[in-house]
Amino acid sequence: MIAQRRGFRSHATTAVLYAFATSLSLLFLYPYWWMCLGMFRNARQVTGDPLRLWPEQFDFSIFAEIQRIGGVPFWQYVANSFVITGASTLLGVVVTAAGAYALTRKPELPGFRWLRYGFLVTIMYPYMLLVIPVYIVVFKLGLLGSYAGIVLFLALGPIQFFLFDQFFRTLPREVIEAGICDGASEAQILFKIILPMAKPILATVALITFLINWSQWFPILVISRSPDTFTLPVALLAMNGELGSNFRGIMALAFVTTLPVAVLFVLAQRRVMEGMAAGAVKG
Amino acid sequence: MPALPAPTRLQSAVEALNLAWRNRVFYLFVAPFAALTIVFGLWPIALSIQVSLTASASALSPNPTYVGLANYATVLADPIFIASLWRTLWYAALAVAANLAFALGVAILIDSPRLRAGSMFFRLAIFLPVVTPDVAGYVVWRWLYDRSFGAINAAAEQLGLPAFGGLSSVDTVTIAVLIAELWHHAGFYMTIFLANLAMRDRALEEAAAIDGATTWQKWRFIILPQLRPAIVINLVYATVQFLKTFTVVVVMTKGGPAERTNFVSYYAYQLFDQGRYGEATAMASLLFAIVIALSLGAFKLSEGRAPK
Repeated sequence: MIAQRRGFRSHATTAVLYAFATSLSLLFLYPYWWMCLGMFRNARQVTGDPLRLWPEQFDFSIFAEIQRIGGVPFWQYVANSFVITGASTLLGVVVTAAGAYALTRKPELPGFRWLRYGFLVTIMYPYMLLVIPVYIVVFKLGLLGSYAGIVLFLALGPIQFFLFDQFFRTLPREVIEAGICDGASEAQILFKIILPMAKPILATVALITFLINWSQWFPILVISRSPDTFTLPVALLAMNGELGSNFRGIMALAFVTTLPVAVLFVLAQRRVMEGMAAGAVKG
Repeated sequence: MPALPAPTRLQSAVEALNLAWRNRVFYLFVAPFAALTIVFGLWPIALSIQVSLTASASALSPNPTYVGLANYATVLADPIFIASLWRTLWYAALAVAANLAFALGVAILIDSPRLRAGSMFFRLAIFLPVVTPDVAGYVVWRWLYDRSFGAINAAAEQLGLPAFGGLSSVDTVTIAVLIAELWHHAGFYMTIFLANLAMRDRALEEAAAIDGATTWQKWRFIILPQLRPAIVINLVYATVQFLKTFTVVVVMTKGGPAERTNFVSYYAYQLFDQGRYGEATAMASLLFAIVIALSLGAFKLSEGRAPK
């Protein structure tokens, strides 16, 4: 009898916990749903009933309206986003992997400790304030308004470095020593032995770098000279700042900005969350 | 065996060069990383400090006029900056406390074995805002707070609650910004807590249960002490994060209303925009010093209290 009562109470507790966690999750997801509805509904419909959970009509005409934003075709922002994010991710993964490998493999070489400290100082500097002097540097290099300036600036990041650092530290030394015994050169050891083992971590870092760099807006805004090199978040910010706000256009643009990373995240959720946690724990 | 002569400076330099030359391939591996770190990290920081010591009008010219610490003096005597600094510290303290408390609560909830079946969905929902571009997230929140378009006031009205001032009222703008930032960041801190919870020693809890510990005692004396690493990491990360609060201000409030959200990083950016480079970089250096001091302080504090 008592056991039965306890069983019931336990079920009730579980139900309450589920109800609470589910409501919280739906609350966190609600802004996405509201954004999607905002693409389809006109201003009068939204102000008349902001809480409606299903659109009156599926009206995609807004995408025809935002064919050009700020004098630049819409597709160019999409292309910029993919090109800048893709190129900076590729460059960042290769450069950081090679750098972190050398720094952890031979920390005793002259200058290597200084480089590590230098990098740590760089990531301690408030990123948003670093961008201001970076403008001056990019100006001096003659890269203002170029894709190269943006891609080079976005390539390095702390989480990426710490993930590689952690991986190379835990690599068993015997693997490398076996390679040396077999008379392999250092380049062969890196490309033939280390890289194949590093495939999972390379994938994780590439994924996280892509997600982080897709969201970047401030360095891109600062280094750009015109909207020609804007990515989707920067275009969205510019549209958000315009007078006479175009609610539907903003929601549609926010949707396009969010969709690729949301899909990528849902496909690779475990890897993203574990990777970000691991990268942070090391830092 | 005769004592070896102490190596001269020249000898050790030659040895270092020898060592470096024998390992030249590693310098090749590290070269691009070093180049990017220097050109886009160390050089800008050095430049920023240099500019903070020059007169704004000449800061970008080839021969800038050095004015010593005059910019720092100007900034520290600027009542808007002082007000902005206190506001930033206050907001950061509030945001760190709210985010960590929320993240810990949600992590404990999701970690519960009773919720195993739904755990992945809950994680996904709370973490999705972390990877959502911040501009997109805050743009949507800005409209959610809107008096006529927004869902938040409409919901408050339906529930019979008083209208929520959102971003247009000085009384509610701080909490409105805080909620939007919590939505964007808390999932990250939650993940750190969850990783730590998964690594804890469950045998201790079983032992405590045998000894008749209550649920509260179990959490307070067995689990919470084991979460120290996650608490420290989150404390440092969140402190650095919220001291730099910037994007949310640019997207939602532009520092207003009545300067209520004019935090230091936004104020520095405004000065930069007006060409007052010397003062802007002086502010950046000051904020840098505060960020380093506070995060080191948080780290030291937790280290000192750690049971050895």
